[in-house]
Amino acid sequence: MAVATASDPSPIQVLADFGKSKSLRTLLRVLILCFIAGAAVSSRLFSVIRFESIIHEFDPWFNFRATKYLVANGFYDFWDWFDDRTWHPLGRVTGGTLYPGLMVTSGAIYHALRALTIPVDIRNICVLLAPAFSGLTAFAAYLLTNEMTTNTSAGLLAAAFMGITPGYISRSVAGSYDNEAIAIFLLVFTFYLWIKALKLGSVLWGALCALFYGYMVASWGGYAFITCLVPLHAFVLICMGRYSTRLYVSYTTWYALGTLASMQIPFVGFLPVRTSEHMPALGIFGFLQLVAFIYYIRSALSGAQFKAFLFVGLGAVFGLALLGLVAMTSAGYIAPWSGRFYSLWDTGYAKIHIPIIASVSEHQPTAWPAFFFDLNMLIWLFPAGVYLCFQDLKDEHVFVVVYALFGSYFAGVMVRLMLTLTPIVCVAAAMASSQLLSTFLSVKSPKAKDPEQEDVADVSSKKTKQSAGSLRSANSPYVGVYSFLSKGLVSGIMTIYLLLFVLHCTWVTSNAYSSPSVVLASRMPDGSQHIIDDYREAYQWLRQNTKEDAKIMSWWDYGYQIGGMADRPTLVDNNTWNNTHIATVGKAMSSSEEVSYPIMRQHEVDYVLVVFGGLLGYSGDDINKFLWMVRIAEGIWPDEVSERKFFTPRGEYRVDGEATETMKNSLMYKMSYYNYHTLFPPGQAQDRVRGVRLPDTGPVLNTLDEAFTSENWIIRIYKVKDLDNVGRDHAAAASFERGHKKKKATKKRGPRTLRVD
Amino acid sequence: MRWLPLFISLALPFGTLAAKKPSSPADTFNDFHTKAISTTPVKLADSSYKKLTASPRDYSVTVLLTAMDARFGCQLCREFQPEWDLLAKSWLKGDKNAESRIIFSTLDFSDGRDTFISLSLQTAPVLLFFPPPLALTLFLVLKVLFDTTSQTVHAWLSRHLPDRPHPPVKRPVNYVAWAVGVVSTLGIAGALAKAGPYILPVVQNRNAWAAISLIGILMFTSGHMFNQIRKVPYVAGDGRGGISYFSAGFQNQLGMETQIIAFIYGLLSFSAIALIMKVPRVADAKKQQVWVLLWSAILFLLYSFLLSIFRIKNGGYPFSLPPLYVRER
Repeated sequence: MAVATASDPSPIQVLADFGKSKSLRTLLRVLILCFIAGAAVSSRLFSVIRFESIIHEFDPWFNFRATKYLVANGFYDFWDWFDDRTWHPLGRVTGGTLYPGLMVTSGAIYHALRALTIPVDIRNICVLLAPAFSGLTAFAAYLLTNEMTTNTSAGLLAAAFMGITPGYISRSVAGSYDNEAIAIFLLVFTFYLWIKALKLGSVLWGALCALFYGYMVASWGGYAFITCLVPLHAFVLICMGRYSTRLYVSYTTWYALGTLASMQIPFVGFLPVRTSEHMPALGIFGFLQLVAFIYYIRSALSGAQFKAFLFVGLGAVFGLALLGLVAMTSAGYIAPWSGRFYSLWDTGYAKIHIPIIASVSEHQPTAWPAFFFDLNMLIWLFPAGVYLCFQDLKDEHVFVVVYALFGSYFAGVMVRLMLTLTPIVCVAAAMASSQLLSTFLSVKSPKAKDPEQEDVADVSSKKTKQSAGSLRSANSPYVGVYSFLSKGLVSGIMTIYLLLFVLHCTWVTSNAYSSPSVVLASRMPDGSQHIIDDYREAYQWLRQNTKEDAKIMSWWDYGYQIGGMADRPTLVDNNTWNNTHIATVGKAMSSSEEVSYPIMRQHEVDYVLVVFGGLLGYSGDDINKFLWMVRIAEGIWPDEVSERKFFTPRGEYRVDGEATETMKNSLMYKMSYYNYHTLFPPGQAQDRVRGVRLPDTGPVLNTLDEAFTSENWIIRIYKVKDLDNVGRDHAAAASFERGHKKKKATKKRGPRTLRVD
Repeated sequence: MRWLPLFISLALPFGTLAAKKPSSPADTFNDFHTKAISTTPVKLADSSYKKLTASPRDYSVTVLLTAMDARFGCQLCREFQPEWDLLAKSWLKGDKNAESRIIFSTLDFSDGRDTFISLSLQTAPVLLFFPPPLALTLFLVLKVLFDTTSQTVHAWLSRHLPDRPHPPVKRPVNYVAWAVGVVSTLGIAGALAKAGPYILPVVQNRNAWAAISLIGILMFTSGHMFNQIRKVPYVAGDGRGGISYFSAGFQNQLGMETQIIAFIYGLLSFSAIALIMKVPRVADAKKQQVWVLLWSAILFLLYSFLLSIFRIKNGGYPFSLPPLYVRER
């Protein structure tokens, strides 16, 4: 239906022809992809430029520590690593309880660079691993999108979207050395290989898919997303009557090899055949065999016989399978849904049964601004792209639709899973926007009102109307856009939107996702940046002033950082495998000194570390997390710790003079506010987070000594006193000493002042 | 006649017994227990509350102080009431001989204003527990509870009632729901079997599936699950008698707000689809021009509206569509 333009080539035509030679197109594509990778990497470097090359947050510190161990001791030692410096006194079989993919990847890069005689510090590899892999993710998105559409520019747009969209940057800025850093690349690439295997029905591609699936399992617990999505896709295809030998070959290859590969990871082990979240994959595997068998039988039997066979055979198989599943579950061979997964479906479940999950903000549901913040205009281009997939609904388009629905449900339930939604949003949005651009950016215009053409159009429109199962909007024939005004208008709007998208992404990345959270930044009144470096100050103090094996007790959030930065043993850390041990720490923090001291002695605690934001107005401090400690402790010792005692009779959570006695006597309260009132003139003591005035007399600590308080009072470290020399209890000893020293103390100590630089 | 004094002296102890009867703790318990058998938890008023909780006691009492009247707008009271009834009923059922010697009762604010005032209570619901021998009252302010189900309260009561039977909470089997479920499943299955030939084209219709998928996606990406999980209100007042459509704050949203957002997303998507699919298929050049202008205008205006809404949610957001960039205030 294309209509020839004027015979003499216009300048635009020349320019358009310029890109028509195949080799030049390939070169351009490679160049563009390189630029996209460059943009993806550089937009993740804000934190390195603003602060320094430093590992962020909490979990990355553990990964970093594990990587250092791997590089120093070799692979086999790492595999068998028993870490006695965490979870004191239990220790942790670290080699068997982590996903080793990330560490092994950076270890391999390290050794490869060493072999090339490039001297590079392992820390820099860890810091820059996530940006480097984001470039690869952009490439994987390009490949995946090209499988969906014949329009190669869609792939390039998808790569660009994937490279800079904040939904992915949030987890992959330089320094966020977490499993997701490589896992998203593996996720997208595994999906690409799956589509490729399905399209070709090839064992080779299926095996490659299984290989990368195995790598994904080794890297991130989110592999369950693939484990559920691929079977779902296969299931939907079967339901649509699209069973084919291609599907059979690719799925069975992927499942058999992929499951074997995943079982090699010690942490996963036999889970793929025992837990319920892996059951869909197994079930579809069995179902596919059945379907294949039925197709075979149908080719061999007559119609009536086949029908009878179908009903009896299918009924029997389903009945048996259901019985078997029930029996195995009740006998305990198959575990019921694990807590984290179950909380995805029954959202009330986690709230009641697993406070430790509910306490993590990553497990909260997603409000709409978060979607817009992370995806900007892609969020409304995304449904348009999904709609376009219905146009010629091939197997791979079904995948997009299934993934889109599945992904957006889970992203809505849990903020963290925005990450798994982002790839498909980029792919679908790129398909929509590239279609839009190629429709409105084509130089050729159809000639208006060609009677012959109308005839042709009529015929073809009748044809399309007769063919069932196509989209209504695609019924009439494709004509093209006539006027340059419409072309210019729409492409102009689109350009503005794309520009705005880039601005938005850069702004979000720079403002929201580039703070290391180990180092806090604030603005001085004159607009200059002021760095608050209390965390590292305190951890450095621990490293330099305490014994090598001094045990530090803190809430679990800081366990990895203490292990990584201060290199000291901790009681609990961010790997929350032992709820009771965490509850023990919670109990020690929330009980009075008389109760806490024996607990601390029993666990050989030398120092206690608390985070206090009252002076600076830093809201992520321990007093604000305190209720979770109480709740988790109450879950184990309901008789000794009770949450309601921390609330006033009016049901308020207060820290000022009106706080309950239990609150005032709790170790956490005492440690947070110890000596705090001396910073202020009498009657002026103020907590800037809670916004309340504190009483004039601060809490008294008998069993702990203040050892260190950081510059802005964010971190306070206390030393646990040894037993008294003459066998008194600490309260008696302390009051005796106070009685003696009362006069001296007032002379010697003036009011403490805040250090001001 | 000499029998009379004897009679009188014999009757005397009976008389005193009769006079004493209402004040003996055992009798009070029996009194309220018989009431409880007919309706549990026992509805109290000021006077009966005093009587029930009078100090020499050999039984325990729990009182739920609540405010069910719609005037007080106590959401939690209404949520907790069925749980409380369930707990009381299953306790009574599981403890037929009243071995645990506990009375479950409810005191509504409208019946027991004086009690609320004498306890100087500001919040409701509050659960009071009076253990048997002591003149001591235990408070449980339900607002602070992590979850207000009968199980939690049951655990709390059990902790304060050592060495007494603690009949477990039994949720009654909802026969109606089961019957409705079975019947409707059968009905739907039958209807499907009968109407199969008519329904099949609809089920296989690509447009229907496209519509369902898009609606699902729009619903989830506009925060519907957040509403479900957090049970956010549909609309909120703005403090001046009007309705506020958008709640300020990045982590909050209202039910209506998400619907507006879903609608905007849907319209934006639809205009993109129209530009991609419909417009190039319009054969008439003039008509096509009009459509392009229309859809572009919708695309532009709605997106700038969306950005302006987002600036309500996120105060520091610097972008807006017509001028592109707003300096931070």
